[in-house]
Amino acid sequence: MWNGPLEKIDDYRFRIPRSYRGESGSLKMRADGIIYADETMLEQLKNDNAPEQVANVTTLPGLVGNSLAMPDIHWGYGFPIGGVAATDAEEGVISPGGVGFDINCGVRLLRTNLHASDLTPARIKEIIDAMFVNVPSGLGSKGRVRLEWNGLEEVLRRGAAWAVESGYGRKEDLACTEENGCMESAEPSKVSADAKKRGAPQLGSLGAGNHFLELQTVDEIMDPRAAKIFGVDEPGQIMVMIHTGSRGCGHQICTDHLKIFERAVDKYGIKLPDRQLACAPVDSKEAQDYFSAMACGVNFAFANRQMITHWVRESFEEVFRRPAGDMGLDVVYDVCHNIAKLEEHVFEGNKRKVYVHRKGATRAFGPDRSEVPARYRDVGQPVIIPGDMGTCSYLLKGTEKAMAESWGSTCHGAGRTMSRHEAMRRWSGDSVVSDLRKKGIYVHAADIKVAAEESPNAYKDVNSVVNITHGAGISMKVARMKPLGVVKG
Amino acid sequence: MSSGYSLITHTADVGLEAWGPSLSDAFAQAARGMFDIITDSSKIAPAVKREFSLAAENPEELLVDFLNRLLFYNGAEFLVFGRFDIDVDADGRSLQASVWGEEYDRSRHGYGAEIKAVTYHLLNVCKPLNGKNAKVSVLFDV
Repeated sequence: MWNGPLEKIDDYRFRIPRSYRGESGSLKMRADGIIYADETMLEQLKNDNAPEQVANVTTLPGLVGNSLAMPDIHWGYGFPIGGVAATDAEEGVISPGGVGFDINCGVRLLRTNLHASDLTPARIKEIIDAMFVNVPSGLGSKGRVRLEWNGLEEVLRRGAAWAVESGYGRKEDLACTEENGCMESAEPSKVSADAKKRGAPQLGSLGAGNHFLELQTVDEIMDPRAAKIFGVDEPGQIMVMIHTGSRGCGHQICTDHLKIFERAVDKYGIKLPDRQLACAPVDSKEAQDYFSAMACGVNFAFANRQMITHWVRESFEEVFRRPAGDMGLDVVYDVCHNIAKLEEHVFEGNKRKVYVHRKGATRAFGPDRSEVPARYRDVGQPVIIPGDMGTCSYLLKGTEKAMAESWGSTCHGAGRTMSRHEAMRRWSGDSVVSDLRKKGIYVHAADIKVAAEESPNAYKDVNSVVNITHGAGISMKVARMKPLGVVKG
Repeated sequence: MSSGYSLITHTADVGLEAWGPSLSDAFAQAARGMFDIITDSSKIAPAVKREFSLAAENPEELLVDFLNRLLFYNGAEFLVFGRFDIDVDADGRSLQASVWGEEYDRSRHGYGAEIKAVTYHLLNVCKPLNGKNAKVSVLFDV
């Protein structure tokens, strides 16, 4: 239970004032911590030590503005999950802990021309089962493509473009992917042989845990104009959501560089309240090497989601015996929620270049930003928020407000409230699956235990998370989708 | 004195505390615990052997490097291990390891959790002192 000060700014914003001295009594905050929450959420988030982590982040050298936390905030390593922090592009630091182990964990949403009324429960089962077969998933899942580890360079350098050129998907998918599916700062020579060896056999796999493929139907459209522009036409429309990241490649990149940063902290004389905030000055070799390697992890994840997209389309082709193009299966957008990026923002009236760390937070750029695909630039970027497998997911749009106060960032999902162990103790996988079946949701899990671990009851309610970001104006509701079927790794 | 481990459960993650008469024993128990989180280490046949040595600045870092090395074999070669012969030097800053296991097989080994990484959180290594067990603790990102 966290007992520090939280001052109410308005219905959706709370402040940890910089006068707070931390649990140690010796914390020196250089800025405020701002948590997006409402009164109900506030009580929940005091249950773990995440607010203390929000306060700790303010000690990063060269932090610009405040340390921010989204309503789905929970305790993480060093930085909270759901944290956003910007550091000055010249005088700031870069911190691998502000990105996390699963570099470019993210979500991709596909739209179709199919309608829920076209799908019987038997059809839904067929689609899910076909995706389960075509997309490797689960513990120790091996990709279907076997690249030698020293053949991974092009993937790391070029991301989704590599995948499209290798026959996975359509050229137009790239324009609807954050960064066009490739971070150009990627430098494969900065990635260890270990990370390449761990990544190569896992390229083109979903993984396990909270990663999933979901068949969804549009349940409600809140913003018809934006929805139309995003390709969401009517309630009942079928959508597909893909949630995965950079697999062992990203995990190993983070592991390798954390070790280097442990030394960097001493070398540069940086004082931190938690060693897991380890960071290095932006212009140091340590920071730049990490940034180049991280971009490789980002590109690996883009390629991974691109390959999975291709297999999702093949699955639909198998089931419906029609070309995927006839059914749409177009990429609405692909967003990253564990990443650090060099971006230009207006801060206190001046243009400022900053490294924005988003750990369990999604970019939510408003209208007219050049980074947003031209076709969406009038309304702001699509933001994809996955919920747990029994509730719903959201399509939001980025806003001017997010640009003005949250470095163009918003939440990333529901967030766990209960340990996997506790979930397994409370529920059996079979009962979770049969409860979902009664709600019309078909689950195909790599193992029944995963269904128990991922029980909807172990997660925060995604509706209340999104109500807060909508109420605060840092991303606005466009449409809500309900699950029809789920592939769980 | 006995050896063993127990799980630490956390909202989003899982960790363990392991102990034994020597650091070598505690490290081996930590490795066994980690593979019990991933699968069921008692069902793993000793078909493949991997040997390695590691050196680190301190015992905590040595433990992280050791477990990460095993995770690397798990990710790169899909190996899971069930037998560990670990020799940690008295100062806790280097080790020689021989580990035995086989390729993961879902139907035979059972299904656990995918561990992404070993973290520095709750990380602790206590050498055996005055007849007390050596004890280590570590948290994983799953």
